[in-house]
Order: sequence, then C-alpha cells, then structure tokens
Amino acid sequence: MTSFFDILLGGVFHAAVLFLVAAGLQLVFGVQKIVNLACGSFYALGAYFGITSVNWALAAGLPPWMFLPVLIVSGIVLGAIGPAIEALLRTIYARDEAFQLLLTFALVLMFQDVLRFFWGPNPQQLSNLVTEYGRLSIGTFSVSTYNLLVIAASILIAVGIGAFLQRTRFGRILRATAENREMSQALGVNVRWMYTSVFTLGTILGTVGGALVVPTAAASLDMPVELVVEAFAVVVIGGLGSMRGALVGALIVGLMRAAAITFYAELEILAIYLVVIIVLIARPAGLFGKPIE
Amino acid sequence: MTALIETIGVSKAYGSFIALDGVSLSVASGELLSIVGPNGAGKTTLVNVLTGLLKPTSGAVRFKGEDIAGIGPVALAKRGMARAFQLVHIFPAMTVAQTIGVAVVSQASRSLRLFASVATDAALRSRVREVAGIFGLDTKLDTESRLLSQGEKKLLDIASAFALIPQVILLDEPTSGVSSGDKHGIMRTLMDAAKHAGVQAIILVEHDMNLVAEYSTRIVALKEGKVLADLPPTQFFNDPHIVAAVVGKLVGKVSQRAA
Amino acid sequence: MSATGLSAEAANGKQLGASRLRRHTALLVIVMAALIVLALFPSFAQPYYVTLVLPAFAYAIALLGFNLLFGYTGLLSFGHALFVALGAYGAAVLTSKLGIKSFELILLASGLAAVVVAIPVGLLAVRYVRIFFGILTLAFGMLFHSFLFKFYNITGGDTGIRVLRPALFGNEFSDLDKTAFLIGPFYYYCLVLLVALGFVMWRIVHSPFGLHLTAIRENSRKAEYLGVRVRMFRLAAFLISAFYCAVGGVILAINTGQADPETAYWTHSGELVFMTVLGGFANFFGPLVGAFVFIFLKSELMSLTQYWRFFLGVTLALIVILFPRGVMGVAQDLWSKVKKKQ
Repeated sequence: MTSFFDILLGGVFHAAVLFLVAAGLQLVFGVQKIVNLACGSFYALGAYFGITSVNWALAAGLPPWMFLPVLIVSGIVLGAIGPAIEALLRTIYARDEAFQLLLTFALVLMFQDVLRFFWGPNPQQLSNLVTEYGRLSIGTFSVSTYNLLVIAASILIAVGIGAFLQRTRFGRILRATAENREMSQALGVNVRWMYTSVFTLGTILGTVGGALVVPTAAASLDMPVELVVEAFAVVVIGGLGSMRGALVGALIVGLMRAAAITFYAELEILAIYLVVIIVLIARPAGLFGKPIE
Repeated sequence: MTALIETIGVSKAYGSFIALDGVSLSVASGELLSIVGPNGAGKTTLVNVLTGLLKPTSGAVRFKGEDIAGIGPVALAKRGMARAFQLVHIFPAMTVAQTIGVAVVSQASRSLRLFASVATDAALRSRVREVAGIFGLDTKLDTESRLLSQGEKKLLDIASAFALIPQVILLDEPTSGVSSGDKHGIMRTLMDAAKHAGVQAIILVEHDMNLVAEYSTRIVALKEGKVLADLPPTQFFNDPHIVAAVVGKLVGKVSQRAA
Repeated sequence: MSATGLSAEAANGKQLGASRLRRHTALLVIVMAALIVLALFPSFAQPYYVTLVLPAFAYAIALLGFNLLFGYTGLLSFGHALFVALGAYGAAVLTSKLGIKSFELILLASGLAAVVVAIPVGLLAVRYVRIFFGILTLAFGMLFHSFLFKFYNITGGDTGIRVLRPALFGNEFSDLDKTAFLIGPFYYYCLVLLVALGFVMWRIVHSPFGLHLTAIRENSRKAEYLGVRVRMFRLAAFLISAFYCAVGGVILAINTGQADPETAYWTHSGELVFMTVLGGFANFFGPLVGAFVFIFLKSELMSLTQYWRFFLGVTLALIVILFPRGVMGVAQDLWSKVKKKQ
C-alpha cells in the first residue's frame, strides 16, 4: 500500500512540476500568442543550474537541508535570460505563427549545445539530497517529504498566479492585453514592457520547475526535447491559454504516467497521447480552452 | 411565378434574443430584391440563413424548391448561389486571373484534376478573361490581389462570385466604402454582369437608399427581426411610415426619385 | 488569415501558380544543368560526398511532399517525421522480416502504408489550423515514436530494425559492395525517382487542384464561398505529403541500413521544416535546394565542431528573422536586382 501511495504521490509530484512549466507556456501563449518550443530547454537549464548552484552552496558551507531554497532561488536567477530571449522573439511578433514556432525551435537547437558546453554530455544529479528531508509517516503510509514540499510549493504558486491574475492591477492589465493587444496599447499600456515581464515570468516558471525536479531525477541532454512532449500534452488537454487547463492537464498527465508505470510500463507515454487524442475529439479546444477559429 | 429562393416563416433565436421572427419572402427569376433596415434589424442573420450558413430555429429556406438550411458555402456554390461580402475578401498572393480561376475551376467541377495544367487550359483562361472583362479587370489579370485598389478588390470579390455562374447572387453592401460617383458605375457593372452571366435573380443588402430606389424590383424592409414591408419601389417610397421607419431623414429626397 | 501571414511571405516571391514561358525557359535550363551535375557527380566527386547526396535525395523527395502541405496549402505540421519513419520501418520490415526485396514493391507498400496511417491522423488534424495543427501533428508523431520505442518485440525498440539491400528492377547487384551499390545503381535510381516524383508534384501544384490548395492557404473562408472543398483538399494534400515522406524514409533507411525510432522524433520533424524554410517554402524548388544545403551544411558543421547544433540553430534563427523566403528567396531578389540594372 505504501508503494501505491508513493507512486500516487510521485504522479502528483510530476504533475506539480509539469504544471509550473505548462503555466509558463500558457502565460506566454495567452499574452504573446507564441508557443514556446524552448520551454523544455528552460526546464533543463533550470535543472543543470540548480545542481551547480546547490553543489556550489554546499561547498561554500551551506547546511544541506537548505538545498530547496537554493534551488528555487537559482531558478529565479535564471529569469535573467528572459528579457534577452524575448527581445529576440520580438523581431518576429508580426509574422506568421509558423515562423514564431520555428524561431523557438532554433532556440531549442542552440540551447542543446549551450547545455552541452557548460555541463558536458553526461547526465548529472544531486547526490541523494532528497533524504535530507526524510519521509513523512501518515498513519500506515510513508511518503517522501521532499515530494510533499514541492507539491505544496506548486500549489502555492498556482494560487499565487491565480490571485495575481485576478486581483492585482498588473494581472488585470495582463489579461486585458491577452484579449486585445491593440486596445491595450491604445489605452496606454506599455505593451513592450508587459511582454518582457510575462515572458520572463514564463521563463522563471520553467527554470524553477526544472530546478525542483533534480533531487529526484538526473539532468540530461534529453530533458529539453522530452519535456516539450509532455508539456504540450498538458496544454492540449487543458486548452491553450488556460491556467486552469494547465492545472487539470498537468494532474491528468502526471497521474496517468504514475498509473501507466505501475500497471503497464510500455503504455506510459502512449497512454498520455491517447488521452490527448480522445480529449481533442471530444473537445477540440481542450478542457478549458477557448473554441478555435 | 415560382420562387427561385424563398424563406417561409423563418425565425432564428439565440437564447432569448430573437434575431428573426417569422420572416417570409421570395425571390423569383428576373427580380432584384433589396433588403434594407437599420443596423441590428436582422439583415445579416437573414442573409446567413438565405445562404445556408445558419439553420433557422423554425421555418424553412428553399432554393429551387430544395431545402438549404445550413448546407454551408461549398454546397451552396454547387447548387447555384453565390455570395459576395461587405468586407472585402481576397486571396492576397493570388493574381486576378488566379482568383477568378478558382471559381471557374469549381464551377466546371474540375478541381479534382490533379494533373491537368492550369496554364495551358485555354477554355479556363478564356473564361477567366471574359469574367474579368465584364468587371473591367482584364488589364490587371496578372496583378496580385493585394496590390489592387480597394475598389478593384471589391470588384474582384464580386467578379469571382459571378464566375461561379450562379443563378442567384447575394451581394452584401457591394458599394460600401466606394465613392458615390463610383457607386452607380458598380451597380451598372453588376447589372451587366448579371445579364451576361445568366444570373436570374439578385439579392442586395444596401444602405444607400438612392441605389435601392433606382435598381430594385422589390424592397424588403426589416425591423427588429420582422418584415416591415415587401413592396415594389414606387409603393415603398410612397408610404411615409415605412420610409420613416427605415430611413428617417432621407424621406423627402428619396420619394422624389422614386415617383 | 492575417495579412502578414504566409501569404504575404509567399507574395513577395510571386512564384506560385501560373508561370510564364520565359521564366520557364530559364528555369528549365537551370534544372537541366543541376540534373547533369547530379548525374555526373559520382564520377568526379569523392565517395564521401556522393554518399551525402543520397540523404539529400531522400529529403528532397520528402520535402516536395511536405511543402505541398506547408507552402502551398498553408498547414505547418510538426509531425511529418512520422511518415518518414513509416517509410523507413516499411523498408526494414519488408526486407528483413518478410524477405521482400523488390525496391519498387517496397516503395509502393511503404507509401501506401503511410497514406493509410495518414487518413485517420489527417481526418483529425485538418479540423484544426495553424498552431493547433502543428501541436496535434507533433503529438501524433510522438505517439508513433513511443510506439516504436516501447513495443520492442515488434519494432526492435531503440535499436530498430535492419534494412537489407533491395533489388532494383529485380537486380541485387550482389557483385557490388555496400558503398559501390549505394553510390552506383542506387544513386541513379534515386535520382530518376526524384525527377519523376518532382515532375508529378510540379503537375499537381500547377493543376486546378493546386490552384484550390493555394486558395485554401490564402483565405479558406473565401475559398469555401467559391466552391472549394477546404477540408477534403487539406486532407488530400496531407495524404500526398505522407506518401512522399515515406518514399524519402525508404531511401534514408536503405542508405543507412537501419530503421531506428529516432527518425520519428519531433525534432526530426522540426528539421523537415527547417530544411524547407531554409530552401524557401514559397518556391517549388526551395525545398529541394533546402534539402541539399542542409545536408551539406550539417555535414560540414559536424566535421568542424561538436557544437554543430548550436550553429544550425543560429542559421535557422537568421533565416527566420532575416531571410524568411530562404535561399530561393535570396536568389530571386538578386535576380530581380540584376534584371533591374539591365
């Protein structure tokens, strides 16, 4: 029973991380109408940099149990690349979506070797720091505390994003700009600055997601291209542009993955894509997306 | 006279909002019917029902005796009805010749020919030239549509609809955005083209009451989803109540013309 | 469709649709010259470079099909590597598992298999346009990839399946070793195949069907009102493109001697788009040029640095930002500048 619960929690943990990346995707798509194929690259960057940061911090004498905050901070720090990349993407905002997609693909190719350059071709991992937080016993079940913490952090971030979008002035302006760019501009919104902020926020969500995953999984050069596949499954199921969709989609994908691993390993990613296709047949715009065309 | 296209008690409701309420009209061969009315009267909805885009909530819409409710643009074109829009629709990168060619190919049911050459198809080219000539676009056959003037784009839009050799053509404000000098020119071109292309009936949605008065054989006025009047121009413009309801200020000027 | 969409990019090229005889003659001369060079290539070039031309042939054929869907019909698929992989695995299964060696049969069977798979995929995918079409096709491509990977009993898993030498018109050329076969009879066969399939695609693109496809790309709503069967024709373009990609996949697999699942990965689909845009999607010959340029560029970069992906990425970024109409676009611009000076 413990192992079942562990797998379940593993699924939710995976969902939590996926949600962060998907939320970043949805934000950027919602406002700038760009689907960022490089979201996986940001994720991988966060993972690698997270490992480096923690190793550096530990070497500098930081107590091991502080690795979680270090991971989060390192993810946020990486947000510095956001503005630069957004500036690059800005050159083709007015162009056809095909080109925007292609430019993000160019980023994927470039990042692939950037990661290889800084961290080499071999997978890297944090040496067993997960055990620092031990396991929590809930009745007869025992679960990894780290997983719980990340899930909690993700929920907090989800709530935070929700509140931010609904309650703050910036959030309202953001939603308005997503609805109607020209009108926002006409009303004096500094759309340029908005785009930069949103993209940076989206980047940070991706890098933090990657950073949070490294205690449980190795960072490898396959990460960027593999994550895109799952992240896209999430946004397709949930509906492009919808935060709620990102949450529900991430849960579905995370739990399906956990179930597939338990019962029928071969079916793992196949199952996810079958769900994607079924959802698209039943509800073409995804569960929470706006109808297309 | 048998109706070419008709609506019988058509109603369209969107939830509690009633866009059309029991609209019955018919158009017979040789007629030019104008649909007029203030904005929000239901003209667009009626046009969408007439052109098979919308299924009425109740009532029937028939073309040549057959039900066409919601059949969609492609089937509609096949049956012999074409539509040109108020907002100009073009194929930006395609030339005038290619644009008209698309319609000619559809009309000749040749779209499935994967290996025939468009460039060497003499019949196709002469037909394209013919249609372009009617609309005065034959000097611009190789010009890309996006490079045409607004007026020429409008003519191209209508020309491509005519190239389908429809029996009925529905024109949604064909002279909107065109200077008043050109308006009559366009109307005359349309009438000429209609005769040439064997169009049997024209349905016009227009705001310009002068044009309506001069060219229509009958006028249908819509107000709040209901048919207010369905009369030939003379009777239409002689009734001050009707004119006032539809037009307002232009009463005096228009009735003078129609008399 | 936005005014700044693909049509605007294509419009700057002015090459789609009807052509004039004058342009035709100059074009014909260039094409003939290229064909002569390609035909003579094995006799004067080093074998290494000749072996590079084979994947270029393969991708040229695949991209001819891909661009029917992308450049002419306006649908960007990020999953067409699926069909390339189907071709590769078709060749593998037929030669290694079923003992069928006839190249002609392999081409036909793999092509048909691709079309059969493309029917349900296409039926679902053409309900969407633009970004949704791209994501959905990416999903299908990855579905196939995971299928290839996971069901290793049938598909050989991550090692894939061997592809044995086929017989060209019944002749296996057993007296030739692998390289001699590839740069000899197989090379010429593929060249002829490219010319033949290229000719077929040329006819398709310049036919009434092709005209309707372009109309769908330019303004699918208006196209409907002019009697164009939008969904059906999008599907048709999808099916034809699948066939061509499978043929390309067959050639690729025979060249490497192996069908492996990475052929179906989404980044490979991305490379297909890369090559097409590199050559120029708004021009019939763009994808062909793109295939050759990409293969040679990649090979040169790989020999120069281990960070060749980075430089490929930079190339793609430059193309997208500065030269969206690709090599053919640049060539056309230069040509019109030259003509203006005259």
